[in-house]
Order: sequence, then C-alpha cells, then structure tokens
Amino acid sequence: MAYPYASDREVRVISEYFGDPEARTLDGAKRRGRYKGLEKALSMSPDEVVEVVKASGLRGRGGAGFPTGLKWSFMPKNHDKPHYLCCNADESEPGTFKDRELMRWDPHQLIEACLLASYAIRARHAYIYCRGEFFETNQVLAKAVEEAYADGIIGADVMGSGQEIDVTVHVGAGAYICGEETGLMNSLEGRRGEPRTKPPFPAAAGVFGMPTTVNNVETLCATPHIVVHGAEWYRQWGSQKSPGTKLFCVSGHVNKPGNYELALGFPLIELIEDVCGGMRDGNALKAVIPGGSSVAIMDADEARRCALDYEGVAACGSMLGCASVIVMDETTDIVKQVRRMAAFYAHESCGQCTPCREGTSWVTKILRRIEEGRGTEEDLDTLIELTTQMVGTTICVLSDSVAPPVQSSISKFRDEYLALIRRGERVGAA
Amino acid sequence: MSGGVPYRNPGWAGNTGEFQLSEAQVRGDDFVGTRPLAGGHASGSASYPYMLEEKRPDAPLFEGPYQERLDKILTRYPDRRAALLPVLNLAQEVRGHVSPETMDRVAELLELPRAYVRGVATFYTMYNRKPVGRFLIQVCTNISCNLCGADDVMDAFLRYANTEPGETSAEGDFTVVEAECLAGCGFPTCVQINSRYYENVQPVDVPKICERLRAQGR
Repeated sequence: MAYPYASDREVRVISEYFGDPEARTLDGAKRRGRYKGLEKALSMSPDEVVEVVKASGLRGRGGAGFPTGLKWSFMPKNHDKPHYLCCNADESEPGTFKDRELMRWDPHQLIEACLLASYAIRARHAYIYCRGEFFETNQVLAKAVEEAYADGIIGADVMGSGQEIDVTVHVGAGAYICGEETGLMNSLEGRRGEPRTKPPFPAAAGVFGMPTTVNNVETLCATPHIVVHGAEWYRQWGSQKSPGTKLFCVSGHVNKPGNYELALGFPLIELIEDVCGGMRDGNALKAVIPGGSSVAIMDADEARRCALDYEGVAACGSMLGCASVIVMDETTDIVKQVRRMAAFYAHESCGQCTPCREGTSWVTKILRRIEEGRGTEEDLDTLIELTTQMVGTTICVLSDSVAPPVQSSISKFRDEYLALIRRGERVGAA
Repeated sequence: MSGGVPYRNPGWAGNTGEFQLSEAQVRGDDFVGTRPLAGGHASGSASYPYMLEEKRPDAPLFEGPYQERLDKILTRYPDRRAALLPVLNLAQEVRGHVSPETMDRVAELLELPRAYVRGVATFYTMYNRKPVGRFLIQVCTNISCNLCGADDVMDAFLRYANTEPGETSAEGDFTVVEAECLAGCGFPTCVQINSRYYENVQPVDVPKICERLRAQGR
C-alpha cells in the first residue's frame, strides 16, 4: 500500500504490505508468500536464475538504471575465491525514502532477495549496508534476520538445499558518499568511504578484493517476484526498455506525499494531480525534480508532458535516477533550494578529487552571494563554467551531480537569479 | 479527512485516516521488543547502537554484554579492520561520543594504527567528537523538508532549547544540529532525536515533543 496514503492507481508488487505490521514477522511473511521465490530459485541452477532476471529487463533502482541480470552475469562462474553480495541500503539521496520503507515494513522480502541473489552470483555472504541513521529500521531488519536464522532459512543449509549463505546487517556511520558502490565497499572494509577508481570493477575485485555485486534494496526486492512469476509477467508493466514497476517517492508541495508503486511510464502530471491529491493549497506547479537532487530541474511545461520511465524523463532533459519526485509550487524560492542542494554536496564531498572538493564549496559560496543580493550577472557564467569543469573530471559522480541542478535552474529560472542580482544592485547603489 | 487536507499526526508518520496504526506498530517497536545489550544473534549485533539517553563518557568500553557483542561482531568479517565502524558505533553507544582516547583504545583492540583510526572516525558525521546533551536533535533542512518549512522547525528547536546550532543547552538536555537528508522526505520535517525519527514536525509541535522527551526520555 502506498503508506501512509492509499491509491488505486498503483501496481503493488514490492510495496504490497506497506502499513501491514504483521508482514514483519516470519510467520506473517510466509503467509504472504515470502520465501517462495527463494525456494523456486534453489531448484534452478544459478545461471538459470540470472537468465530469468536478465530476461525480465529489470534495471538497477539505485539511480544508474544498469540492467541487473547483466550485472549478475559479470560475476565469475567458479568458486576460486569467495564472492560477496552487498545490498546498498545507505539511502541518502535527498528526496529518496523508499528503501527505508521497504526494510521497515517488509524485511523478509529483502532477506529472501539477498539469499536469492547470493545464490545466483555464488556468494556465501551477503552484507546489507544500512544507513547509520536508520536505528529503528535496522532493528526491525536485524530482528527479521535473526528469525530467519533460527528457522534455518539463512545459514549453513539454506532451506534444506545444502547451500551455505550468511547475511549480516552492517551499519554505516553517516556519509552520503558510502551510497556510491566503491565508497560503500571501502566503508564496509573499515576504511574512509572514499570511492575507488574503476577498473577494476567490483565483479573482478570488489569488497575485500573479491568478486562482488552491489545492488540497491529496491532492485533486489523485485527479484523473488520475477523468479516466481517469470520474466514475461514482469514485462506486462512499463516499456520494452524500462519494464516493470517502480516506487516513486513523492515529496514537497503535494497534498498526499509518500511512496507510490507505479508501472514505469506513468505520466508525471497524473502522479501529482491524481495519485498525490494535487498541489498543496491549490497552488500552481512551478518545477519538479524527477529523480533526486542530482538531476536537472524540470519546469512546469516539461513536467506536464513527462512520462516516468528512464527514456521518458531523459527526453525531457533530466534523469529518472531513483525516482524521487520533488514537487515545487509557485511559492518556491528556486535559488535558495539550489543553494541548499549545493551546500549538501559541499558537505558530503569526500575530498579526494580537487574539482569536487573545491568546486562544491565555491558553487555554494557563489550561490549564497547571489541569494544575499551581492551577486553579479557574471556569477551566472562563472557557475556554468565551474560546474562544467566538475563533470567527468573526478573518481566518482558526486562532483558531476552538482551541474544538472545548477545549470538547469539557471537556464529555466534565470529571471529569479537576475531579480536577486538586480535587487542587490539597487540596494547597493542607494 | 476534510477538504483534501491530510490529517497530520506529529511525531511519527502515522495515522492519516487511511491506515489505523499505533505508534509502536509504525515504529516496529511491537515487533522488535527489547533487544539484549549483548546483541542477540551475531548477524545483527552490528545493527545497534541505541544512542542512549544516559551518556557515560568515562564508562569502561567492551565489558560484560559489550564484550560479548564485540566478539560476535568480529565473527562476521574476514578481517579485523572491517569491524572498525561497528566497534566505533559500540564505543559511542557506551560513552555517547568518540573521544581521541576512545579512538586509540579501538585502534589497540583491532590492531590498527592510531592515526588510521582517527582518520576513519573523523570521516563519518555520526561520530560525535565531543559530548552531546541527553537528546541529540538532528533537524533535516535538505530540500524536501526545506520546501515545507524545515528552517522554521530548526529555529523552533533552537529557541526552545535556548542554544546555538551544534551547542548543548545550559542544563545539558538538548544538542540541536542541522542534518542532511534523513530519508524521511515524504513526512517533512523529519527530525532524528537520539535513535528515533520524528516526522511531520512543525514549529508548533516542538515544545510538546521536547516536554515529552524530558518526561519520558523519548
């Protein structure tokens, strides 16, 4: 269910038991069909499981949209070295709040998925890298893992199959950058969460130097359903390139914010007007960020014609990312919000690469200057030049993430920047 | 519900009129119950800490149940270094913050260079490097909460506690800090107080929440 609000426009595959406290218990989870996908997977070969996921067209839900089955197929097919699965539960992209809901309402769905994926990639140990701030959620997940161990679902003989798989709930300590897969692996190893250069890719040398696959919580949660019902079943939703369902995290100025699971390709404007009960106070729509703070801002016209799948959002000049839809009404101060996002990146930059370490803080300082009425029109050119230089010049994409919100807001809401600059000039002259 | 205006339930993202749930059900408290200090099964023993209300900066580290938890944590990783974050978490749970002395003790325990442990510990924002009040109040002011008035919520907490950002109130009860996105964006403003999330918080709710904290400890 679209906790805390319900909507009949949804297709509830992975969010079916949101708001249902009984689904947390092992008995309740089993009664709701949990562990059927794992049971079926264990009766297949690991490669057959990978093939089903590949055929379903499932794409990574953490932001990049990389095909999951293909990622799994990169793992070596032997047992020369230990393999690891890392579940990325370090949810911290501003605007995103889906993984926390998946873990706190339906922990057994994730545990089943971790076991299934571990089996497919021949891993004996799955680490769920949880965000440190999620104390309450982590306790729910840990309790569920304990129940699954006690029941013989996890451990030396997974559901009587003879497979040995361990699951460990690992807790981070507050760093956005640990959501980047190589930063996550460094953090899991007890290092600073600084991203690594690629290659080597994780499937060759990942955590502890061993072959590793890193998948987002939501991605993994879809896999047991795909194995139970088949790839074609999953393809009944969405498009050829973006099949399936996706959780949309809607926040900002709507009447009913929350997580809504919809078929990919759902029209953005219907999500706002219908599913989310329209704009707060009947205000006019001004802008939408469709995929978390790292993607380009859309104006109202773009939002009205946008279809929510990977291709549809790209056609409107932005990215689906992790489908974190941040809705802004006419009262929004765009410059202030862009400055707030830039300040976030400045705070979270790990400091390894100069363009990012220096660039994020300079972008923030310039935006602050404009906001306070001390900016000039040349500052806008400087911002565009600076953020352009921050793209593709660093180890990870945190630095790149600053460019889309800054550049898109300057091109689409230039008047707001200019108004602040002009007002400042007038006050200064007087 | 009337006129399409959602029913608010301050403190936690709960009853909107479409779901009938208690606070314990929403938080998962009724499922989790009281967790043993020793950490339960080894798989979950790294999933603490509680961020306890009572902070004992000079308490011995890794004794009794904490020693048990430490031993369990070490069984979950192929090398001792990987246990560093869980062990620092454990230290903070006991002492309320991670001082340089605590970092050195952890370095000794895990057979890591002291400078290395300090480098790691200072990388992560959740390690309090100085003592904090009974209640560490972290107000998300990032975009989604900011759009819905997070700056005013931050100000309301500062006013109530009569303190500055990052500082502790005079009687030692509240430390108020600005936080980055807490992943509660649909339920703005999201505030983390010690271990718990408080959602849908508006400035008007702040005195009530703080009074409840003083009275009930959570």
